[in-house]
Amino acid sequence: MRLTALDEAAEAIGLKKNQAVAEARAICPKLDVVEEDPAADRRLLDGIADWCDRYTPLVALDGRDGLFLDITGCAHLFGGEKALLQDILSRLFQMGIDARGAISSAPGLSWAISRFGNGGVIADEEMELVLSPLPVAALRLEEETVAALQKLGLKQVGDLIHAPRAPLARRFGAHLLLRLDQALGLDEEPVSPRRPVASLSAERRLAEPVQADEDILHLTGQIALSLKTSLEERGTGGRAFELVLFRIDGRVFRVAAGASQPLRDPRRIAALFSERLQAVHDDLEAGYGFEILRLNVTRHEAFDAAQEDFDGARQKNVSLANFVDRVSARLGEDCLQSFHLRESHVPERAVTAAPAIRTLSSGKGPEKSGVSWSRGDRPLRLFPRPEAVEVSLAEVPEGPPESFCWRRMLHRVSRSEGPERLTMEWWIDGTDARARDYFRIEDDTGHRFWLYREGLYGQLPPPRWFMHGVFA
Amino acid sequence: MVQAPMARERLFALREEIARLEGKPVPAMAAARHEALAERGGKDKEKHRLPLGVTVLDEALEGGVPLDGLSEIRSSCLRDATASAGFALALCALMQKQAADDAAPILWIADRVTTMEAGVPYPLGLEDYGLDPERFLHAAPRKLDEALWLAETAVESGAFAVTLLEVKGNPAHFGLTESRRLGLRARAAGRPLLLLRQSGEEEASSAAFRFLVEPAPAAIRLLPDRSMLGGSIGNPVFRLTLEKSRNPAPLSLILEWNPHDRQFFPAREPEYARPPLKRAAHPGPRLSASLNRPDRPQEMGPVLAFDQAS
Repeated sequence: MRLTALDEAAEAIGLKKNQAVAEARAICPKLDVVEEDPAADRRLLDGIADWCDRYTPLVALDGRDGLFLDITGCAHLFGGEKALLQDILSRLFQMGIDARGAISSAPGLSWAISRFGNGGVIADEEMELVLSPLPVAALRLEEETVAALQKLGLKQVGDLIHAPRAPLARRFGAHLLLRLDQALGLDEEPVSPRRPVASLSAERRLAEPVQADEDILHLTGQIALSLKTSLEERGTGGRAFELVLFRIDGRVFRVAAGASQPLRDPRRIAALFSERLQAVHDDLEAGYGFEILRLNVTRHEAFDAAQEDFDGARQKNVSLANFVDRVSARLGEDCLQSFHLRESHVPERAVTAAPAIRTLSSGKGPEKSGVSWSRGDRPLRLFPRPEAVEVSLAEVPEGPPESFCWRRMLHRVSRSEGPERLTMEWWIDGTDARARDYFRIEDDTGHRFWLYREGLYGQLPPPRWFMHGVFA
Repeated sequence: MVQAPMARERLFALREEIARLEGKPVPAMAAARHEALAERGGKDKEKHRLPLGVTVLDEALEGGVPLDGLSEIRSSCLRDATASAGFALALCALMQKQAADDAAPILWIADRVTTMEAGVPYPLGLEDYGLDPERFLHAAPRKLDEALWLAETAVESGAFAVTLLEVKGNPAHFGLTESRRLGLRARAAGRPLLLLRQSGEEEASSAAFRFLVEPAPAAIRLLPDRSMLGGSIGNPVFRLTLEKSRNPAPLSLILEWNPHDRQFFPAREPEYARPPLKRAAHPGPRLSASLNRPDRPQEMGPVLAFDQAS
C-alpha cells in the first residue's frame, strides 16, 4: 500500500507521494490513512465541474484532480479576471475544498502556475518570466522525460527555453517542445468542454434563493422572455430546452424538456417546465433553495412565423402541439404515439408507431405511397404477439376451423371468410418462412376474430393456428 | 302568511340549484325560455347533440349523444371489449365527421390491462372502420391517475374531436367524484368525452347516458345486385342497451355500423344467427312448478347442456 495523495499537514511532516504506508506510519504513528476511492473522487470532480458551470459553459476535466475553465468573454461579468479567480477560490474554500487556480492566456501555463507556482492572474508579457523558475515537471511531461531532463541538469523550464531546440527535439521527441510552446502560449491548445455548449442560454442570479416550484416557474418564464429576442434575431425557435438549477450548497440539477414545434413564446416554455417539474418533483430537492437559474436552448430550429387568422385553425394546431408537449414533458415521450402506415403486407409490419412529439412538427410522417393493394378487412384491435390457438378440427387442406380453443374457451365457428394468404417477406424472414392463411371468423356468440394458420396440412412440421386480432 | 312567499322563494332557489347541478334547464326560467326555444327550433340543443340516425334511439337520447359532456360505454366482460370499442369508435367517427374542422384528431387513452388482453388499436383496421389513422393519437399511460390527468388535459385543450378514455373494471380511484370532475371539464370545454369501461359493473357516474354493448352476429354482405352473399361476414352489428338515461325504461336494440357511409342502421336479429343457447330448448309450454312439494323441480335453464339434451 502506498500513499497516493496527501493533505497539507502530512506534507508538513515530510511525507511524500508514492511512499509506502508502513514507512509513513513509522514517521508518524498517528497517521490517518483512508483508502483511495477513484469513483468518489471522480464524482466530486464532476460535481465541482457542474458547479463551475455558473462561471462559463466551457468546463473541461483535467485528469484526476483538475478543471479547465475557458473564461473567454466571461470575466467581465464577474468584475474582471482577478475578481473572478478570487470568487471561485473563496467559494470553493467555503465549501471545504482546497483549490488553487491561475488565469493566463495559455491552458498549459495556467496548469503550471496553479500546481507549481503561486497562482494568480498572469499577464501576457510576463508569461516567460513566470514560467522560467518552475521545475520541468510543470510542463505536463511523462515521468521518464522529467527524470532524463533532470539527469542532464535541465531542472527549470528556463533552462529549456534558452536551450537550442533541434537537439532537444532529437533527444526527447517533439512532445517536449509542443508542451513548452503550449505553456508559452505559442501553440494553440483546445479545451474540450465536458458538456455540449448550448446554442443560447440566459440566466438569473438571485440574492435570495427560491425553493417553491411556482417561483422557479415564474423565473423560468422571465428568463424565457429574455431569450425571446435572441431567438427572434436568429429566426429560430427552441425544440429542446434545459433548465439548470444551481442549489445554494453547490449541487446542480438539470431538467430537460422537449417541444414538438420550435417555441419562442415564454409562457409555453414555462408551461413545458411546469409539467416537467411535476414529473421530477421527487428528485428535485430544493433544500435551502436555488440561487442561479439558467435556461439553455440545446436544440433550435427555424421558426416559421405564422399570422394569426380569425377562423382559429392555427389556434387549434397550437393547442394540439401544446397538449403533446405537456404530455411528453410529464409522462415521457413514449406515452403519446401516432401511427404511420408502411408499405408492407405483413400485418404487424404495416404500421409503425412513433412518439407524437417527433412527428407532429414534420406534419405527416413518412410519405404515403399512392400504391395500394387490395386486401381483406383488418381487425380493429391487433395482438402485438399472435396468440396460439388450439384447433382440433379444420377443413383440409386449407379451410377454416370447425371450432377452436382460445384462452381456455371453446368457440364454435358459425361463419367464416377467407383464406387470405400472406406470404412472409423473404428479404427479412428468409425463404423458408411459412405463409399465413388469414380467416375472418365469427363464432356463435357474435364475436369476430382474425385467425391465421401458419403452414399447410400435409406438410411437416404440422401447421399451427394463431389468433391475431379481434374485429368489432 | 308573511313567510309563505319567502319559503317559496327559497324553495325555488334550491330547485334551481339542484337543476343547475344536474344540468337540466332551470325550472323558473324554463317557462320563459320555452317560447324562445320553440322559436329557435331547439337549434342550440341540436348543436350539442350527435344524432345517431336511428329514430328510437335518438328520441331516448333527447336528440343524440352529447357533444359537450361525458358518455359512458360499458362492456360486461373483457371478451366483449372489441365490440364496445367498436361502438365507441363508430361514435368517434361520427363526431369527427360532424366536428367543425375535420382535421381534429381523436385521442385514445388506453388501459394497460385491456391492451394486453384485447390488443392495441390497429390503424389499418381503423381505416377499414371509417377512421383516419393519421388523425388518431394513442396514449398509453402507466397508471390510472395519469390516464385521468390525460383525459382532463385533452378535453381542456380543445384540440381533439373526441377523447376516449378506456378503463378496466371499476377502479376504486375512479368513482363518482372523478367522473363528475371529468364531466364538468368536458361540459366547460364543450368537448365530447367517451368513457369506455371494459368488463365493468354498472356504477353511479356523472355520465348522462350509459350504453351496454354486446356483440351480435354481423350483417351479411350485399352483392352489387342487392342480393345477399350467404355465409359472409359483413358490417359489424352490436346489441346495444341504453342503461342510463332520463327515460327510466331501458332500451335495447340492435345496430349495424356501416363503415363506408359512416352511418348507423337499425338491424334485425337474423334467426339463423341467434346463438343456440338462447333458442328455446323446449318449444312447448313449460309445466307449472309445483309450489308445496319437497321435490320441487329445479329451474330449467343454465344447468342443462341443451345442445345434447334436445
